[in-house]
Amino acid sequence: MSTAEQNRRLVWKGAAAELTAKPPDKIRRIFIPDRLLGWIIPVSVLLAWELLARLGMLPPNWLPAPTVVGKTIYQLAVAGDLFKHAGVTIARVAVGFLLGASAGTLFGGVTGYLPVARKLLDPTLQALRSVPSIAWVPLFLLWLGIQETSKITLIALGAFFPVYLNLSVAMRHVDPKLLEVGKLYRLSSFQMVRRLILPAALPEYIVGLRSGLGLAWMFVVAAELLGASSGIGYLMVDGEMTGRASIILASVILFAIFGKTTDWIMNAVGRGLLGHRSR
Amino acid sequence: MVNNSFDQRGTVNIEIVHKAFSGSKGTLLALKDILLTIDPGEFVCIVGGSGCGKTTLLRIIAGLETEYEGAVFLDGKQLLGTGLDRGVVFQEHRLLSWLTVHDNVGFGLAGLPREECSRDIRHYIGLVGLDQFEYEYPHQLSGGMSQRVAIARALAGRPEVLLLDEPFASLDALTRMRMQQEILRIWEAERTTVALVTHDIEEAVYLADRVVIMSPQPGTIRNILPVPLSRPRDRTDEEFVRVRKSIHEELFAPDGMTSPAADSF
Repeated sequence: MSTAEQNRRLVWKGAAAELTAKPPDKIRRIFIPDRLLGWIIPVSVLLAWELLARLGMLPPNWLPAPTVVGKTIYQLAVAGDLFKHAGVTIARVAVGFLLGASAGTLFGGVTGYLPVARKLLDPTLQALRSVPSIAWVPLFLLWLGIQETSKITLIALGAFFPVYLNLSVAMRHVDPKLLEVGKLYRLSSFQMVRRLILPAALPEYIVGLRSGLGLAWMFVVAAELLGASSGIGYLMVDGEMTGRASIILASVILFAIFGKTTDWIMNAVGRGLLGHRSR
Repeated sequence: MVNNSFDQRGTVNIEIVHKAFSGSKGTLLALKDILLTIDPGEFVCIVGGSGCGKTTLLRIIAGLETEYEGAVFLDGKQLLGTGLDRGVVFQEHRLLSWLTVHDNVGFGLAGLPREECSRDIRHYIGLVGLDQFEYEYPHQLSGGMSQRVAIARALAGRPEVLLLDEPFASLDALTRMRMQQEILRIWEAERTTVALVTHDIEEAVYLADRVVIMSPQPGTIRNILPVPLSRPRDRTDEEFVRVRKSIHEELFAPDGMTSPAADSF
């Protein structure tokens, strides 16, 4: 290779590096840091929405401006309706989730530990799981009436399956090599569960609790839409009946806030339980 | 050489007639006619290619395999199942990720007085040289350090016999050599009987008082060779190389393992 050719190649290489490496740097320097990138679209949409609404280009009874929705939430809070309805909804989620998650823990634990119990129960539970849970609503209403029982049952059912499934599978899949360590130290069955199987299954169990909680929020909406005289879902129905889109949108936002907040709390509790393992 | 007066504890008598595994493809004879006595305080290495049953033999002594014909005795008492009188270290460290080094080492000591426990645990963590890491978690440790914790855990129950199943096989060459020195130091401090399974002939010659050479299909003891070298041993020493060569020849002799490549089973 001649020196001239070598030089040419070097020049070419340098140019290529410049082409591939520099532009992204420039873009980043001109615009905004990575962590703010995700805000661009929602903020622009909100601004455009507000602008169009103020210009009278959006029908206010269908799509009120974000500020109007914000005002609606404020008015609901001032009137006390917000706390009343939110309290009812949160109570339903809490009771339903506690019942469902407890049952899921019990069944998941038993089937995860005892193969006989799994063979006996799992096919039935899996078959029930394949029924879309909303399909139970008419039956629950018929059996349990339109009051709280049917709503809480539906929420509990939603929370049950992810907790059950995650715990059962995680307990079954504990590394047999770790179980041998327990065997070496002659742990009793109870100690085996408490000291090896449950701690090993904990991360997946927490994942199950989180998705159970998510489903509990989903099902409280369904339950409240289908017949309730209080709760945020009722607010939505009320907004629809009276043609006030701002109330419906306000309710959607409230559901989002509560769902996200409880998930964040659950995540924090999970991190606490896992300690160093969550890193 | 055999010391049958049990005034010193840690004599292992192995009399395995027959050990088979039955699977979907029929039965596999893993061990046949294994007769071996390990003296108190002796360091024995068991070498052989894969599939020669050396790990199965160790697992039988540990009490993890209980379905076999024959018997294993510790100080004249037949061993049935696992027990704290034997400490086991596996190829993988098998530490519990949710426990600190301290709690991992003390895992088998639950039920003993806390004060006494803690002192013992500290002693063994110190013995394996990890005083600085007592409250670290396994994911913060290197492979060699994790294996040290596993050794400390095995020793914490004050076993009469320490059983090691290819404990250094997954470590890099330099760490492995350091760990070999360490295990000798620990053995000299604790004076327990040690049985170590390995496929590394050099490791066996470096560590053992006697090397048990096994051959596969079915797993039998092919020969038992003493290592007449004083410690510390020099791997490049002429005599060391000679012993190593004789074990190598024994392993690959015509009616032993047919060839190094024939262990595909």
